[in-house]
Amino acid sequence: MNSFIAFIMGPMVWISFIIFLGGLTIKLVGILKAVRQKEPYIYSYVTLKHSLRSIGAWMIPFFPRSARMSPVYYGISYLFHVLLFLVPLFLASHIVLINEAFQISWPALNDQVADWLTLGVIAALIFFAVRRVMVPEVKFLTGAMDYVLILLVMLPFLTGFLAYHQWIAYRWITVIHILSGELVLIIIPFSRFSHMLTAPLTRAYMGSEFGHVRQAKDW
Amino acid sequence: MTHPFRFILCLAVLLAAVTTGMVSYAGQDLERLDSWAFESPRRPGAVFPHDDHIFLADDDCSVCHHVYENGELVPDESSEDLYCSDCHSLKPAPDNPMPLEAAYHKLCRDCHFDQGEGPVLCGECHVKE
Ligand code: HEC
Ligand code: HEC
Ligand code: HEC
Ligand code: HEC
Repeated sequence: MNSFIAFIMGPMVWISFIIFLGGLTIKLVGILKAVRQKEPYIYSYVTLKHSLRSIGAWMIPFFPRSARMSPVYYGISYLFHVLLFLVPLFLASHIVLINEAFQISWPALNDQVADWLTLGVIAALIFFAVRRVMVPEVKFLTGAMDYVLILLVMLPFLTGFLAYHQWIAYRWITVIHILSGELVLIIIPFSRFSHMLTAPLTRAYMGSEFGHVRQAKDW
Repeated sequence: MTHPFRFILCLAVLLAAVTTGMVSYAGQDLERLDSWAFESPRRPGAVFPHDDHIFLADDDCSVCHHVYENGELVPDESSEDLYCSDCHSLKPAPDNPMPLEAAYHKLCRDCHFDQGEGPVLCGECHVKE
């Protein structure tokens, strides 16, 4: 068992990050190539200024019009996305491991605060699932895979929460925690989660089309 | 999903399982290392049955209480009259390439990995009190 844990705490972390970053890179190259083949004129008006302006505008809470039109969903979604990155990256235990591997470290979240924020992430995911069941327009567009993906993202947070409190089956919970975290990284490029890459690309395109060509706002 | 309520059911079952597991067991008295050397400890002191480990290290105290000279490990000499923190300061420094926390983790966890036995995950050593 210890050698299995050594594997998932060592080489498997590297494998996961290589697939995650490599997969997104291949995807980016594929998108850029497809645009060049099918609609090369897009390159003639996409500018860095308009791209960044649009991405920036969409990052300001409640700034885009569509965000103000459904403030509850948007607010929860916004907070969820912030916490999704903030909690794992600033968790004290993760920083201990990174420090041992690379001799670098940064300020950590207080453990109690991180504990509550983790519950926040789980609550937001439950909200997303319930919304898919309750709101007819969303339900219509929802497939089994959407629930699987919600569960998959929830798993590392739920098992992380349980592991921190050491309530049950500590070793198994922690092994599932490590594995599910790695699995989420691995599937990002091959699933809906690739919007991590495509969302900013969409903003770059829309921002330039509206800002540069039509002289209008896209938020 | 044809039956979206299955998802909610699954969640409910999961929550029930968690609550059952929360029935905490009475904290046994465990032999722990004192984390006094750390300014503001964030974890419960690590469980460490010292005398069992003397046996596990084949009676060789220097496996843990080592002595270095010019960066070279000195065999057959031991330093059990010193605390780890006497040589390993909290922050890395030129004369101390191995800060205290990493020193403990490396010594303890690496041996457990090498021997294929013993705790290797955070909460297996830092057992909640
Ligand atoms: C093999 C046992 C072992 C494992 C596994 C282990 N530790 Fe430790 N840890 C120790 C020992 C021993 C010390 C130093 C003495 C003490 O604080 O109890 C220590 C000290 C620490 C400290 C500094 C003291 C404090 O309380 O702030 C932190 C933080 C810490 N460990 C976090 C972790 C985290 C996070 C993990 C998992 C990634 C982990 N440890 C895994 C044994 C272990
Ligand atoms: C597996 C590692 C290990 C082995 C083997 C080991 N020790 Fe220790 N010992 C420790 C650690 C860790 C401490 C705590 C050091 C500290 O607090 O800085 C300790 C503390 C001590 C202390 C101080 C206790 C106190 O409360 O002040 C003495 C004395 C000691 N060891 C003697 C020995 C002797 C003698 C042997 C060999 C027969 C031995 N140890 C073998 C790890 C070990
Ligand atoms: C007398 C001073 C001294 C004491 C006491 C001491 N160490 Fe060390 N330790 C050193 C030195 C010096 C090094 C070598 C650092 C280097 O150059 O890599 C070292 C290296 C280490 C290493 C790295 C070994 C490797 O294989 O890379 C670990 C782990 C370690 N110490 C843990 C401990 C622990 C745990 C204790 C307490 C039980 C302890 N040390 C007590 C001086 C000491
Ligand atoms: C020389 C190798 C070695 C070193 C160094 C070592 N251990 Fe261990 N430890 C073992 C082995 C082997 C076991 C498994 C013993 C067993 O299960 O019978 C073990 C078991 C344990 C256990 C479980 C004991 C139990 O009763 O279940 C704890 C806790 C532990 N070690 C803590 C530590 C800590 C903390 C340190 C560092 C201060 C440390 N160990 C250093 C070899 C080592």
